[in-house]
Amino acid sequence: MREAFSRCLVQAAKANARLMLLTGDHGYALFDDFRKECGSQYLNAGVAEQNMVGVAAGLAKVGFYPVVYGLSSFVPIRVLEQIKMDLCYEGLSALLIGDGAGVVYSYLGASHQSTEDIAALRSLPNVSIYSPADATEMQWCFSDAIDSRRTCYLRMGKADLGRVHLHEAVSPAPLATPVRVLGEARDEIAFIATGAMVKTAMILAQRWQGVSVWSVPRLKPLNPDEIDRCIAASRKIVTFEEHSIHGGLGAIVAERLAACDAARGATLFSAGIDNRFSELCGSYDYLMDRHGLSAEKLQTRLRAFLGDEDRSI
Amino acid sequence: MAFAGSTVHIVCAFSIVEILAVLYRNHLRLGDGTPRAEGRDYLVLSKGHGVMAQYACMRELGWLNDNDIRNYFGNGTILKGLSDAHVPGLEVTSGSLGHGLSVGVGMALGAKRKGSGQRCYAIVGDGEMNEGAVWEAILFAAHFKLDNLTLIVDENGFQAMGATHDILELGDLVQKLTAFGFDSIGVDGHDELRLDHALTRTKELSNGRPKAIVAKTIKGKGVSFMENKNSWHYTRLTKESYADALAEINAARATNGAWSS
Repeated sequence: MREAFSRCLVQAAKANARLMLLTGDHGYALFDDFRKECGSQYLNAGVAEQNMVGVAAGLAKVGFYPVVYGLSSFVPIRVLEQIKMDLCYEGLSALLIGDGAGVVYSYLGASHQSTEDIAALRSLPNVSIYSPADATEMQWCFSDAIDSRRTCYLRMGKADLGRVHLHEAVSPAPLATPVRVLGEARDEIAFIATGAMVKTAMILAQRWQGVSVWSVPRLKPLNPDEIDRCIAASRKIVTFEEHSIHGGLGAIVAERLAACDAARGATLFSAGIDNRFSELCGSYDYLMDRHGLSAEKLQTRLRAFLGDEDRSI
Repeated sequence: MAFAGSTVHIVCAFSIVEILAVLYRNHLRLGDGTPRAEGRDYLVLSKGHGVMAQYACMRELGWLNDNDIRNYFGNGTILKGLSDAHVPGLEVTSGSLGHGLSVGVGMALGAKRKGSGQRCYAIVGDGEMNEGAVWEAILFAAHFKLDNLTLIVDENGFQAMGATHDILELGDLVQKLTAFGFDSIGVDGHDELRLDHALTRTKELSNGRPKAIVAKTIKGKGVSFMENKNSWHYTRLTKESYADALAEINAARATNGAWSS
């Protein structure tokens, strides 16, 4: 996915000389190609994220297209107010990249982990939020963001989990809707996942019968009617995200369930980070397991909600 | 305006009146005279609390009318108590302090990269200099050699809760800004001639160094009972204090022609 990001970025910069990449002194190897091919459009703003976003807003005001790169614990969290006032309120066209979202920086602790970025941004007007699951979704998200001419946040989580969409040539999905990954809309159980958790949802879907799996590469804006369509036949819905259970994908679906007639009677299990920090150090897999988000832990947790697994598989 | 809207922050506006007057009269190139003219110089009011002074300039330019001014702070009107870029002629939405300078730095950088010759002037309050983001912007402007940026510090010596040196000592700002790589000068911020000279000088030096003018000002300048009385940061005008203030300002205008355009 990171290679796809780098490719998209270089391509976009070559097509638009007014694209400027600003980094808060992060992304060393990630920008090797960019610096080689579009060096004059690269700018390291130093370890000064607030100013970086303000500068990006100034550049956008005078006709440039800023791409602002940081770790998701800094962009958007540290600079939330700059995003709110300098970019969103002004309705400027800019792309913010938050890398290492979730608990990717598992060994570094809470300062470098972010499980609140979606929740924080969702409440701001005039911002789109993307959370691609693989290289294909990265391409969709990147071009959708650039074409939208809005302030956009692209959340880049665990990036080396392999493909979700097997055919690279799949034409860009209309991102106002969840993208079907497995099963059918008429299935009894719907798994709705975003980012790195789409893979986990796909693994777990094999263990029960009648499960559809949906990926949500764009969390905002998301057409509520399209959510209804995915869950219309489902009586049990599980959301998966490497993000707090408060304010993210689980909340998006819960809010819709509370409001929509089509899903009356359906119940929701929201799988995410359960209102706590990572207190301990360890590998990514270790932390995901600690948070109950490994496929094994989730299989156990879901048993009470979905019933026993299908033993015939 | 302040009386009609029963608003605060009068004294923050009074301290930058001459700065704005000199900028608009002699320095800002406004292109075809419309608020968003291509190629215009940018004036960023980072200390959005002084916005009433800028509204007065917008009225002089014809970008706001008497009705706008009369209805200031009224329900459904666009003129708010802090600078808002949705108002014709205002470049940034500020008021949350420490934002405007960075945006102005971005505008200066963009102008530099386009080779358009545009300048950016950013007015920052001395209280606002408490914000870390201001110093981030200062480092950035010097590093990227933005000699088309002029930072004007409104050094009125006060912030919301008291004197700046009692709250968070700023020290000698001319020295500090020089140390940060700016061509810096201190002037009397109410002396239009000296302001004009300083601003002219900033345009002459295309030496890769951003410019700073530390304008020593008086909060509430022009109305004796407001000058350096920080309670006026939050005090609203009464009928009596409004009449007294107006009388004093008009008397000053009659004697020395100050503030005439």
